Amino acid sequence: MTGPTARDSGLQGERTALSWSRTCLALAVNGLVVFRAGWESGVGVLTMVGALLVASAVALTIFGNARGRALSGHGRHHDRIPSAAPAVPLVLLTAAALVACGAGIACTLVER
Amino acid sequence: MREPKWREEGEDPDYRFSLANERTFLAWIRTALAILAGGVLLEQFSSRIGPHVIIVVLAIVLGALSAVLAVVSYVRWRANEIAMRHGHRLPLTVALPLLAAVVLAVATTIAVLIAVYEG
Repeated sequence: MTGPTARDSGLQGERTALSWSRTCLALAVNGLVVFRAGWESGVGVLTMVGALLVASAVALTIFGNARGRALSGHGRHHDRIPSAAPAVPLVLLTAAALVACGAGIACTLVER
Repeated sequence: MREPKWREEGEDPDYRFSLANERTFLAWIRTALAILAGGVLLEQFSSRIGPHVIIVVLAIVLGALSAVLAVVSYVRWRANEIAMRHGHRLPLTVALPLLAAVVLAVATTIAVLIAVYEG
């Protein structure tokens, strides 16, 4: 029997890390779409926002990988019971998604 | 940035439930991003259907839905964490009927546009 806070030898951490990668991939795709629209229309701000979104997708992917390692017990604190996600990266991801929404709407409004 | 204050209330839930909650948040964000990409790409690659104004309106509706879902996903993650810390029931969400209704409306409009302006 494992207690409610005992380390789970299952694949919880792996699923969570994969979930982060998939989400960052979706963010990167949106960043590329915005980048392309900015490039084609010559609107420099959109191009920069697109690049920024791709960069934040890369940064959050790195966070997701580090989190996956920590959860699977291969991180630095491998003896510690994994804890819930810190709120900061979730807030950052939500903010990035909102920026992507603004940029996406702007993309549909610029003249091509 | 410090951890939010609600993290100190109640008891830490089983971390597996927290991870499931985190994955649910990520799944909602992905849904929002997929809807956003759908809207933007619809506008950029729809040269053959409908009056362009309607397409732009659809794209903006999808972008706005995406923004609402992104905010709701974080608010809901937070509310779920707090409910689990206090042993309460998980809160209901308006995101599901909202998502279904808007996607139905947009899909129906696109179908009509394709039927009317086909080719």
